[in-house]
Amino acid sequence: MRILLDKFTKNFGDLTVIDEMDLEVHDGEMVALLGGSGCGKSTTLFAICGIHKVNGGRILFGDRDVTNITSQERNVGVVFQSFALYPHMDVAHNIGFPLKLRKETSTEIQRKVDEIAEMVHIGPLLKRRPGELSGGQQQRVALARALIRRPDVLLLDEPLANLDATLRLEMRSEIRRIQRETGITAVLVTHDQVEAMSMCDRIAIMDAGKILQITEPSDMYNNPVSDYVAGFLGSPPISFLTGIIQNGSFIEPATGAKIPVRKAIAGSHAGREVRVGIRPEYYQPDKGVMIKGTVSMIEAQGRETLYVVTLPDGNILRSIQGSHSPVKIGDAVNWGIDAEHMLVFDKDGLLI
Amino acid sequence: MGNSKHLGLYLLAPAGIFVILFFLAPVILTGIFGFTNMSTATGITGGSYMVSESSMRPLRSHFGEEALADQLMQRVYTIDEAGLQAAAEAGGDAAAIRELEARFLGQSFDRRRDVEVAIKSLNARPSSTRAIKLISAEFERSVVNTRFDTPEEMLAAIAGFGIVLNNAQTEALVDVAYTGWTFTTQNFKTMLELPDTKKTLINTLFYVFATLILFNTGFALVLSISTHYMPSRPAGFFRSIWLLPRVTPPVLYVLMWKWLAWDTGFLSVILEPLGFAPRNWMLDTPANAWTFIILINGIVGASMGMLIFSSAIKAIPPALFHASEVDGATRRQQIWHIILPQLRWPILFITIYQTLSLLTSFEYILLATDGGPGGATEVWALSTYLKALSNYGGALQYGYGAALSLVLVVIGISVSLIYLKLFDFKNLTAPPKIE
Ligand SMILES: Nc1ncnc2c1ncn2[C@@H]1O[C@H](COP(=O)(O)OP(=O)(O)O)[C@@H](O)[C@H]1O
Ligand SMILES: [Mg+2]
Repeated sequence: MRILLDKFTKNFGDLTVIDEMDLEVHDGEMVALLGGSGCGKSTTLFAICGIHKVNGGRILFGDRDVTNITSQERNVGVVFQSFALYPHMDVAHNIGFPLKLRKETSTEIQRKVDEIAEMVHIGPLLKRRPGELSGGQQQRVALARALIRRPDVLLLDEPLANLDATLRLEMRSEIRRIQRETGITAVLVTHDQVEAMSMCDRIAIMDAGKILQITEPSDMYNNPVSDYVAGFLGSPPISFLTGIIQNGSFIEPATGAKIPVRKAIAGSHAGREVRVGIRPEYYQPDKGVMIKGTVSMIEAQGRETLYVVTLPDGNILRSIQGSHSPVKIGDAVNWGIDAEHMLVFDKDGLLI
Repeated sequence: MGNSKHLGLYLLAPAGIFVILFFLAPVILTGIFGFTNMSTATGITGGSYMVSESSMRPLRSHFGEEALADQLMQRVYTIDEAGLQAAAEAGGDAAAIRELEARFLGQSFDRRRDVEVAIKSLNARPSSTRAIKLISAEFERSVVNTRFDTPEEMLAAIAGFGIVLNNAQTEALVDVAYTGWTFTTQNFKTMLELPDTKKTLINTLFYVFATLILFNTGFALVLSISTHYMPSRPAGFFRSIWLLPRVTPPVLYVLMWKWLAWDTGFLSVILEPLGFAPRNWMLDTPANAWTFIILINGIVGASMGMLIFSSAIKAIPPALFHASEVDGATRRQQIWHIILPQLRWPILFITIYQTLSLLTSFEYILLATDGGPGGATEVWALSTYLKALSNYGGALQYGYGAALSLVLVVIGISVSLIYLKLFDFKNLTAPPKIE
């Protein structure tokens, strides 16, 4: 069922956390709310599930306006960051709790619990208490509890933040699998761009209570609306340089290297200062516009290696390379920028 | 470095001494006193040996020595030097006394009348009956009500009256004649026999559980849960209000209740126009007395539970409340399925703690009704206090009081054990299998 936020506004006292946010999540889609800590992701999520009252705007599930409906009546499933399992109930009772509240018969509850436990792979754990489960198992129980009512929407608040690295990888695909199997409309809140990119159909990137851009992960990676968005996505991150457009090229101030830009930009921004973003995979030893610098850091990342190259004026470029090259820290290198994939932003940080 | 191991012990020593002096010693002494017949009559130090009406009673009833008791209680009248001299000093007729000495010295009579017949037979017989009685009284001889420091002295005196005792009789007599305290289980038998005991026990159970369920746990839960759902300012305000009785000095606090209930007090004044005759509402009927007692104790007692429960509710992660809301729980279901289960441990703690303190504390009852009307609100602890430490007649029964206290301790421990069982304490404290 689609979710629509229409000019949704939320304040805590004098502090306006979300100001007139519009967001549409299509039926069956999984959208990530991505942003730094404190930008209002959880606030948005809590408004969607009804824990927070909104101060302005509307929230629609399908065509139903749920703005003033209590969370009890919204039929949403929520997985909280801390999982929020009831410590005094065993796993079966935790999962069956929403049904028990609706006074379903115990045989019915048991049947549904078994079914959902099967789906999230926790069949043998039903008699345990949450305190006797590992993080990943608790996560699965929380998912099962959120899903057992067949909710209209599933909301996940940083569901992987409390798991260790290997579990995070496993649960990433598990959550996506379960979301696909159930076809449920889902909103995932996360501050981790890898999570957002790998799990969701679309990403809504937020900053200070506003959605900056909402689109598919690859589109957002390749065509970020602003330098902020470009900086948020990608690991290792994009590098920025500031300079002037002259004669159809971006002039790198420290080395004087000329990097050609698109005709439109060359025309509209001739003589103006711009900011360019170069992703590590587009700064490579043997192609593009050569630019000189000194290797200041080398970071082995297993299959790949990250090199940080410092230009004469102290700005840096990052390069990620698959094959191991014999370069050492302090070596002077002359590597090339792929002009095709260079992102150009204006003075306000917007993509040109 | 080797000394630092013992440092803790030295630091704890003052506390240890206090515990021993003010806790262990009283407990042990109470345990011991409970098995004695100590009272104001016996004193708390040693006693002496005396044949008396009260010491003969067990000799008859317990040892079946009716005849011996009669014999010991018997008075004989012997005309001896001491008697003659005492009669003279008491102002008896001198001529009569002289003649009595001459004719009857050394003779004994069983009854006083016989002595008086002898006096009347004298030539110098006194004219009035009063004068005759004055003289005859001085010849009464018996062991009754004479205190002896040792059993030997008492037995010698008895032998002097020509009373011969066999071994069993000697033993029994020494036993019953001792006026100091002795070890006995009589207190507990008395307790079982007295009808008051059962009434006091029922009073105590009613008082403890009614106050506990209605206020110390029940109302405390109501307060803490309802303030949990309030905005924090009014919640804090309400909680402070309920703390006020706790910080009021008990005497003043009870005095205010008495003012409220007196026949010229608030209740009487406002109820009189409605057709209720002024009266002491508190002591009017047992039901009224109980209502007041429970209110007085409960309103003070609810605050502690309220504080403990409130902080326990605060400690529940907010996410659990959020989760239960989106799971569809109404407020009532939230209270029942989330809050109360999380409060199991604090509720157990408050229930045990308050049961014990209600069992042992009687100050509010003492100040408010003093057990009245007619013993209707006399609870075990108050009864113990009255028997052992405060009695109008001044006859304090330390031993019986201690025995009563001992029973109270046993009741307290048994009730606590039952609670632990009811609340499934083992499961509450079991360590989680995985951290
Ligand atoms: N209950 C609250 N009262 C006051 N301020 C709040 C409350 N909840 C969140 N905030 C504020 O709102 C902002 C957004 O919070 P949140 O939505 O939790 O951020 P995040 O994106 O990290 O989930 C933060 O500045 C936070 O301090
Ligand atoms: Mg958050």
